[in-house]
Amino acid sequence: MNKVLADLTAFAKQYMRSGFGAFFTFIFPILLILLFGAIFTNTGSSTMDLPTQNLDTGPMGAEFLKALNETKVVRVTMIPATVDLQRYIQDNSLSVALYIPANWTRDVFVSNASTHAWVNVTVYGDPSKSTYGMAIGVVQAVAQQANFFIAGARPIVGVDPASIASPQYQYIDYFLPGIIGMTVMTTAMFSMTSVCGEYRTRKYFKLLATTTLSKAQWLASKMLWYAIALIASLIVTTAVGVMVFGMHVTINAMALVFIVVGAILFTSLGMLLGIVVKDPESGAAVANAIGFPMMFLSGSFWPLESMPGYLQTVAKALPLTYLNSGLRDAMVYQNMGSALVNLGVLAALAAVLFTLAAKLVSWKER
Amino acid sequence: MSETVIEVHGLTKHYPGAKAVDGIDFDVHAGEVFSLLGPNGAGKTTTVEILEGLRSPTGGTARVFGVDVSKDYGKIRRRVGVLPQEFEPFDRLTPTEAVTYWANLFDRRISKADAKKLLGQVSLSERADVQGLKLSGGEKRKLGIAMALVGEPELLFLDEPTTGLDPKARRDVWGLIRRIEGEGRTVILTTHYLEEAEVLADNVAIMHKGKIVAEGPPAELVARSGARTTIVLGGAGKEGLEEVTRRGIPAVLDHDDVLVRVSDPREMKTILAKLSALEAPLKDMYTRRATLEDVFLRLVGAKMDEGVLQA
Repeated sequence: MNKVLADLTAFAKQYMRSGFGAFFTFIFPILLILLFGAIFTNTGSSTMDLPTQNLDTGPMGAEFLKALNETKVVRVTMIPATVDLQRYIQDNSLSVALYIPANWTRDVFVSNASTHAWVNVTVYGDPSKSTYGMAIGVVQAVAQQANFFIAGARPIVGVDPASIASPQYQYIDYFLPGIIGMTVMTTAMFSMTSVCGEYRTRKYFKLLATTTLSKAQWLASKMLWYAIALIASLIVTTAVGVMVFGMHVTINAMALVFIVVGAILFTSLGMLLGIVVKDPESGAAVANAIGFPMMFLSGSFWPLESMPGYLQTVAKALPLTYLNSGLRDAMVYQNMGSALVNLGVLAALAAVLFTLAAKLVSWKER
Repeated sequence: MSETVIEVHGLTKHYPGAKAVDGIDFDVHAGEVFSLLGPNGAGKTTTVEILEGLRSPTGGTARVFGVDVSKDYGKIRRRVGVLPQEFEPFDRLTPTEAVTYWANLFDRRISKADAKKLLGQVSLSERADVQGLKLSGGEKRKLGIAMALVGEPELLFLDEPTTGLDPKARRDVWGLIRRIEGEGRTVILTTHYLEEAEVLADNVAIMHKGKIVAEGPPAELVARSGARTTIVLGGAGKEGLEEVTRRGIPAVLDHDDVLVRVSDPREMKTILAKLSALEAPLKDMYTRRATLEDVFLRLVGAKMDEGVLQA
């Protein structure tokens, strides 16, 4: 145990003094939380501009735009009636624009009284942009209300939104465990792969092989260090989230267990990847090749359910999926049963990878 | 005869298309400095890495403290200290921290004061608290030796301990090795510096292309090889050579110098008397004793460049 602690102390000093590791363990997750927190919480303006060309001189056009503004989702900005709209959209790189045709008020009343034909407004836009979808949704909702008003009807069926967790949770609360899971992976696996490259290039492995320190002890000290650093990172990141964005997440014993098991798993995986790594540069390349797809496919940034079925199947084979899900179970949903299932999968994988890493990695020359 | 620390018999290490070590035999006894001498690629480092348990031999046996190193190196690890050829210190640890850390890896706990005392022994006290990346080449080597010594080993492997060092740093390391020998430890020194082996080693094994071509104490190797003392007539030129040979003394021209090899020391006086009567202009006249370089030249035809053996 003394040797593990001695190796841990020496490694921790080097890690913290290099600055690089400390940045990715402590500073980077805080930057991500600040960035995504600003995007996903309501601290800033969430209203999007809706450039509109209104050629209607009657009251319906003006009332329609007033109703749109009252939704607070869009803010109508006016495009001059004299310009060619499609050219204006192109020249100003607009992703969305609303068009109300001339004589729209008259046509609405004529249609209501006799022809019953559609009298449309037009939403121009780029379907690949999320703002287009939002604009379509808002304009359709206001048009629906206008139809009820003109027909003298009122809606019967409605939707009552309710959060499946505690009602005070925001999207960023669900997002935080994903950031923490990603930090566990990047800190332990990316760093460990580079460390293996450096230790091989600079012959530290050969030097260590002349001592009484075993590979398993060396690996254990790295796991211990990453677990300590990542728990500190979890606390700091969560504290920033709570203080800056008023997040409502829980750090409990189960969350800490997930961090420890995650550190063991990804440290072992990093050491295994280190087998094929000849230097720190190739270490970074290998870690990126494995880590980045895993980061995006494992639900760190968005729900797995939003991905195509075949990608969801791939996600089930990735260890980070179980870490992210488990952290959400523990920190957000408080579903300890589901957390234990995820923990079981992670622990089994961690045991297999640790054993493989300690056996397969060689410090000696051929 | 003191205890045999290392026994090597028929040791081979083959790679596809290359025989790095090709059936070598040698013994090393307790308390001696044994040098494996040879140019780069001679097989020195491969040999010591087999003895350090870092490589597996293809054939033969290598025993250290009676233990077969290819099977049970773990049993003797605590008794051995190693300075590898390509030693680099940990960039972000100070020498004090590195030595303390390394002691733990040999199941020893040493205080900061003990670490500094050890660093003092390798003349690194003033740099004890500077991070490794700021050390000079010589200071790094000294730290490597301190780390190799921290487990208080009975046997020390020093692989090319002075390669790349300036003359002063090299002499510092030599002093250190002499002190280590004085403490009764056994030292295996690999080097491609002839002078280093000559000055430090009790016994030398000259390696060439994976084989040991000569072995013994440096002076004995020189004597055994038949290499002779040489009288150098500096700047005598062709004119001097003709005059010397006219007097019945065999000589050769080396650049502008005339070299007269004296095969029997008893003839020295007579030859010197004949040469003193030379009329050819001389810049200098001196005698040069045969060295390991002469041995090496005779055995393998290798040359030397600035004191380093060339393959």
